[in-house]
Amino acid sequence: MLGEWLSRIRFFFAGRSRAEVDDEIQFHIERQVETYLAAGMSPAEARRQAAICFGGRERAREQCREQRPSWSIESLWRDIRYGVRGLLRSPGFTAVAVLTLALAIGANSTIFSLLSQALLRALPVQDPDQLVVLSFAGDAPGHHHSEGGNTPGHQHEFSYPMYRDLRDRNSVLSGLIASAAVGVGAVWNNRAEPVLAEMVTGNYFDTLGVRPAVGRLFVSGDETADGANPLAVLNFDYWKSHLAEAQVEGKTLLINGTPFTILGVTAPGFHSVVFGRLPDVYVPMTMQRTVQPEWNYLADRKAYWINLTGRLRPGMKRTQAEASINQLYLAVRRTEIPLLVDQTPKDLQQFIDKAHLNLEAGASGFSPFREDARLPLTIMMGMALLVVGMAVVNVASLLLVRAATRVREFSMRYALGATSGQILRQLLTEGLLLGMLGAAAGLLLAPPALNALIHWMSGTTEGRVPFSGSLDWRVMGFTIAATLAASLVFSLAPAVQLWNPRLAEALKQQTDSGRGSSLRFRRTCVALQIGFSLLLIVGAGLFVRTIQNLHNVDPGFATDHVLAFTLDPQMAGYMPATVNAVEQRVIDAVAALPGVRGVAATNDADLRGDDREGDVLVDQDSNHPRPEDKEFDIELPWVSNGYLQTLGVPLVAGRYFTAADTATSQKVAIVNESFVRHYFPSNSAALGHHVCRPHRAATDAVIVGVVKDVKHSSLREPAIATEYTLFLQAEHPGGLMFYVRTWQAPQAAANSVRAAIANIDTKLIVGDLSTLDDQIEDNLLSERTVALLAGTFGGLATLLAGIGLYGILAYSTAQRTREIGIRMALGAKRGAVVRLILRDVLILAGWAVAVTIPVTILVTRAVRSQLFGVSAADPVVYAAGILLIGLVAVTAGLIPSRRAATVDPARALRTE
Amino acid sequence: MPPPTDLLQGTLDMLILKAIAAEPQHGWAIAQRIELVSGNVLQIGQGSLYPALHRLEYKGWIRAQWGASENNRRARFYSLTAAGRKHLEAELDNWVRLTGAINLVLESV
Repeated sequence: MLGEWLSRIRFFFAGRSRAEVDDEIQFHIERQVETYLAAGMSPAEARRQAAICFGGRERAREQCREQRPSWSIESLWRDIRYGVRGLLRSPGFTAVAVLTLALAIGANSTIFSLLSQALLRALPVQDPDQLVVLSFAGDAPGHHHSEGGNTPGHQHEFSYPMYRDLRDRNSVLSGLIASAAVGVGAVWNNRAEPVLAEMVTGNYFDTLGVRPAVGRLFVSGDETADGANPLAVLNFDYWKSHLAEAQVEGKTLLINGTPFTILGVTAPGFHSVVFGRLPDVYVPMTMQRTVQPEWNYLADRKAYWINLTGRLRPGMKRTQAEASINQLYLAVRRTEIPLLVDQTPKDLQQFIDKAHLNLEAGASGFSPFREDARLPLTIMMGMALLVVGMAVVNVASLLLVRAATRVREFSMRYALGATSGQILRQLLTEGLLLGMLGAAAGLLLAPPALNALIHWMSGTTEGRVPFSGSLDWRVMGFTIAATLAASLVFSLAPAVQLWNPRLAEALKQQTDSGRGSSLRFRRTCVALQIGFSLLLIVGAGLFVRTIQNLHNVDPGFATDHVLAFTLDPQMAGYMPATVNAVEQRVIDAVAALPGVRGVAATNDADLRGDDREGDVLVDQDSNHPRPEDKEFDIELPWVSNGYLQTLGVPLVAGRYFTAADTATSQKVAIVNESFVRHYFPSNSAALGHHVCRPHRAATDAVIVGVVKDVKHSSLREPAIATEYTLFLQAEHPGGLMFYVRTWQAPQAAANSVRAAIANIDTKLIVGDLSTLDDQIEDNLLSERTVALLAGTFGGLATLLAGIGLYGILAYSTAQRTREIGIRMALGAKRGAVVRLILRDVLILAGWAVAVTIPVTILVTRAVRSQLFGVSAADPVVYAAGILLIGLVAVTAGLIPSRRAATVDPARALRTE
Repeated sequence: MPPPTDLLQGTLDMLILKAIAAEPQHGWAIAQRIELVSGNVLQIGQGSLYPALHRLEYKGWIRAQWGASENNRRARFYSLTAAGRKHLEAELDNWVRLTGAINLVLESV
């Protein structure tokens, strides 16, 4: 067996040289000659007879070669050489085709890489397929802290006591971990910085199978009791970029003023079990109150704030595990019923009946933004594929034009004995050559394009994005598959024309006159190009209009000349009791700077997608709320007393907050018009009424003013009912977003603001220092990215349509030179000839547009949710798209038709 | 495309293997031997002999070596490999069974 294989391998590589075969045949014939001589023939006769007897020597030689396993490779090599020679003979055609494919494939690979990373790629942990992401359905009254990613029936935040119950009492998971992220202040080498900390459970790294690069990571024993585990693990990237790979094991890192002992550094490549979260340091869950001083979550069953991920026991099915763990989940929920207040018996029944714990496949990890990114990414992928479709049609029509000029060549090959299969193989080889050249160039284009896109997406602030600019195997595989499919389509297009043409006829004809199927095919190509590009241009138009509309939205206050930054004294180790005083000192110090018109501060940043919502009671006893008011959530920002004036939110009744409203004076509130509409008959009727939170009597405040509605969460969303209260009068202190309105360019004030704050305390960390306008821009990232890419694809589509139409029209017009010559000889004017050709093009374009528009309307309906202020059937966008594509078609048709019209009729007729 | 042969598909291979079973032979001798032994009934198309030898060599049933011929010239000698010998035995068994069966059918009528 082994010997057989060895001989095969030897034979495969070495084959048998041509000379050996010749020698062998030569020997055979000479031996035959000898035999004939021995039988008495004359030498000449013997030689003649031996040759006759042997038969075709060349044929035998060929057949010997065909027995070789390398034969197919040899003939493929021959096809390739022939194809390369052919492509080199027409460099213009080759360059256009390869460039077209490169642009399309490059765009495709770039977008697919983003899509693959965001939606498909597994977490860089051990056996990611065993991971399950936990979420639940059912009511959960209490405090919710979410980064996003929740859908109805799938809430991803749990309480810490619930986590411990599930972890310790389940029998289906080999590990259950929890995590939550929070911004903290870290001091290393006397340098204070804002960093992102991830609170994790002790079994976090073990369950994920993440190894340390330095020292050790957390173990279960590192999560013991509230505040008892001041230990930290560093992320590799943070260690490398911020700590310069210093010796850190056993050293101290100050986090929010508390010393944490560094245990080690995670292996490179790992960030978090939550995709898109890029923590700098990891701390044990039990240190929650240190890293997040304004909240006390650990023992609270009604605080929903940690994301849970489990690892299934080997061999355990997800559905089986889900059924089993739900028993436990419901049992724990029943024990939580006594904690619920103000609930009707029906509510309490539903608290159990509607509850369900979901275990979802978690190989790629939970992500707060994945669901939001899915549709935009899918849209972009669709557009990129349309561009590929256009490129395929483009190259197919170019090949078609080229094939028409090669009819004689192929007819000759048929005549010389080539089979249809061989011709087809040749066409496929040439097509694949083009495809591979295009794919190679496209893959060279993709990484820089991807890097540029990622850089662009990280925005103006130093925000990081969880994407890398390298292409993984999935992208390579996808690109190769797309290239093969595309090459197959466009290389077979000319076969329609070349496969078995009527030989004699084709040989007789000087040129292909473009009749019948090939003409129909060419017209189809033109129509498809117009259709594809119209679809892309309309899509681009809709998204560009969307971003324009978003930029034109009036938020209700002036956003220019505002410098914004965050500051949380607790990150510098301030005790809660002193926080408000420090924040007020910051406001006063910055307000006193020259060039500053006013300073505002809020715990609920504007136009960044932040929300602080809850229900309120109007003129009621906080401890005995009426149930009907519970369902109306309003926005509840805590602001400084100059906030509304500084931002410029217009007052419509009562008064603004003033310096006379202090921590100890009567608590006051200002509400907006939406709030008034819900609770009161008129603006002035609201004044003097009391507002409080249910079961929080200390929040009771009297309404002293009413302001106009302004946009809060984002430019997209309408203003909602809002109650502004003073942060100085709030229940507990916290970090604030500060807005500084300046006379001059806001960036110019940055240094003096930093200096003024450092003057108060050098440990205070100024975070996210940027202008409000830049922050708003960053919040529109998704829309801007979509608009940018859609615009790029639209432009690309127009360009491709132009090239494709020009190529095909130039060719078919050239084919009609004789007809034009006759027409002109018969007295047709030049203008009439141009009109004749243009009319053809425009009729075809008209048909293509008429067919495409219903398709476009149907397709764009799917993207409605991504649009803003523009209908999916916006007539302006459609009209502009049609006009543009008409313009391209006319331009592409005008050049060849004018050239045709300048032909001297006599010469045109003679050349035939 | 199989080489044109008047022989039943596959039997040429068997004949070649049989012809070199006793001792290594070169191509011409193999053709001669088959013709002689069969009393000139089986004419090996010379042009089909060599492709068949190449095919058998690729399959690992025979191996080729240059050697001196009976008239002291350089010739390629083919000999059976172990795999080839096993294959030949299997083929012969098959052949005997097949021809026996055909004979039975023909004689019964």
